[in-house]
Amino acid sequence: MNRLKNELLFLRTLMAMNLSSAMEYRASFISQILGMFLNNGIYFVFWLLFFDRFGAVRGYEISDIYLLFAVVALGYGLAYMFAANTGAALAGMIAQGKLDYYLVLPRDLLTHVIFSRMSVSTIGDVSFGLIAYLFTGRFHPLDLLFFLVSSLLGGAVLAAFSAIAGSLAFFMGNAQQVSLQATNAAVTFALYPNSLFSGMTRVLLYTLIPAGFVGAVPVEIVKGRDVGLLVTLLGVAVLAWLLAAAVFYVGLRRYESGSAINVNL
Amino acid sequence: MLDQLRLNTLKYGAITLTNLQNQLAYVWDALNRAFFIIIIMFVFVHLWTAAYATQGTNEIAGLTLANTIWYFLIAEVMELGKFRHDVKITEEVRDGSIAYTLNRPYNYLAYHFFNGLGESIVKMGLIFLLGAPICLAYAGWPAVHLVTLPAVLLIMLLATVLDFFVLSIIGLLAFVTEDTNSFRLIYQKLVFILGGLLIPLDFLPEWLQRVARLLPFNLTTYAPAKLFVAFEWGDFGRFLGLQLVWLVIIGGLLTWQYRWAAQRLAINGG
Repeated sequence: MNRLKNELLFLRTLMAMNLSSAMEYRASFISQILGMFLNNGIYFVFWLLFFDRFGAVRGYEISDIYLLFAVVALGYGLAYMFAANTGAALAGMIAQGKLDYYLVLPRDLLTHVIFSRMSVSTIGDVSFGLIAYLFTGRFHPLDLLFFLVSSLLGGAVLAAFSAIAGSLAFFMGNAQQVSLQATNAAVTFALYPNSLFSGMTRVLLYTLIPAGFVGAVPVEIVKGRDVGLLVTLLGVAVLAWLLAAAVFYVGLRRYESGSAINVNL
Repeated sequence: MLDQLRLNTLKYGAITLTNLQNQLAYVWDALNRAFFIIIIMFVFVHLWTAAYATQGTNEIAGLTLANTIWYFLIAEVMELGKFRHDVKITEEVRDGSIAYTLNRPYNYLAYHFFNGLGESIVKMGLIFLLGAPICLAYAGWPAVHLVTLPAVLLIMLLATVLDFFVLSIIGLLAFVTEDTNSFRLIYQKLVFILGGLLIPLDFLPEWLQRVARLLPFNLTTYAPAKLFVAFEWGDFGRFLGLQLVWLVIIGGLLTWQYRWAAQRLAINGG
């Protein structure tokens, strides 16, 4: 218990340091957040135009899209706001032997590496997710609770998947493009109505590319206030992180550092 | 005069060819980067198949489902195949190395265009090759006629030039604002909606269509994609005319900005 408390305190310190470091460059900080907000906003406009023209598609209406965007943007934002060293970034660090710096420090390696960088632009995603939720009109405290918790769990699944994709570098060498494409695929599929896909594609979206747990499942949880599904999502998130840790530490045995000297400031 | 033209053609042709060879040398890297088209086309196919099924029709605003699927591939080819020389210009302005590149025996902007063209040819080709099997599987062969293909290619080339002009202006804005990222992002997002990348202009509300058709954004993406899937000589003439008008306007603006920027440049030492 003490160990867990200790690790959580460490993570909190890491997050605080990352945030204050990012805020040092105010103009860049604000422009990145606004840029991401604009980026998400355009997709939002697309869906408005799409539903204006076509009405409901495979059971999805514009209100479902508001909710889908809200959970995915919030989940994605929370996942990468503090745990940005996953996916292509993690793959790059492994390939370039940059884990050396962390290996000599007395902390859990996976959490230390992953939480050592924050992606500033994701603050734009978080704020976009919260604003998109306002459009859903679901203001009951229970709805809000389901929304926040399921988005967080969806984000946890996404971060774990991204960590697994990044860890492929232990086995493949250069895995930056593969992990980037895998993460992009998960986010892209998560942002579209799940009902569009069927058969084998649907199976893939709940296994190999777990986009269903990032978008569709949280949407169902909020819409149905489904406690059972929420517990299932929690189980999936825990399982995903156990798998991520297993892949990372098994891969770590194959890690070879170079003679490059890295200076972390 | 003719000798000068011949020399310039050889010079800039060599620049394009060199970068083309560079891109082909790392074709696997380029292939990896282009892989995203498979995912996005797969999603688009399912979304638009569902949209057409909802309407219970095979044709919306003159476009069949097959047309729409191929439309998106060409629109993505135009968008993802772009070269990002504006980032390079911004970097050169920021670190001052533009002072040296401006002195080289070529036109600075022409160099960036012909260098980028070599990159774009490879990128566009790969994106098309990766995306086409999905379109073929879900939509069959596109209704393209060999007679009209050169006209489509001309519109694609002018679309690339127009996009180059706009991005050059954005890159040169680094003389005023150090960070040009936000301008690039705004331009890109305007192309997404008003350029017809995410939704063909034909599907937009009437009032928005009228606005979008007058602006230059649709001429970089929508025009080549629409002509590829549903060629009409009337559309071709209109797109060509509008492209030429916008090329003159934006090209004039770029020329003025370039001269102004070159005058502002201070070179010290040697």
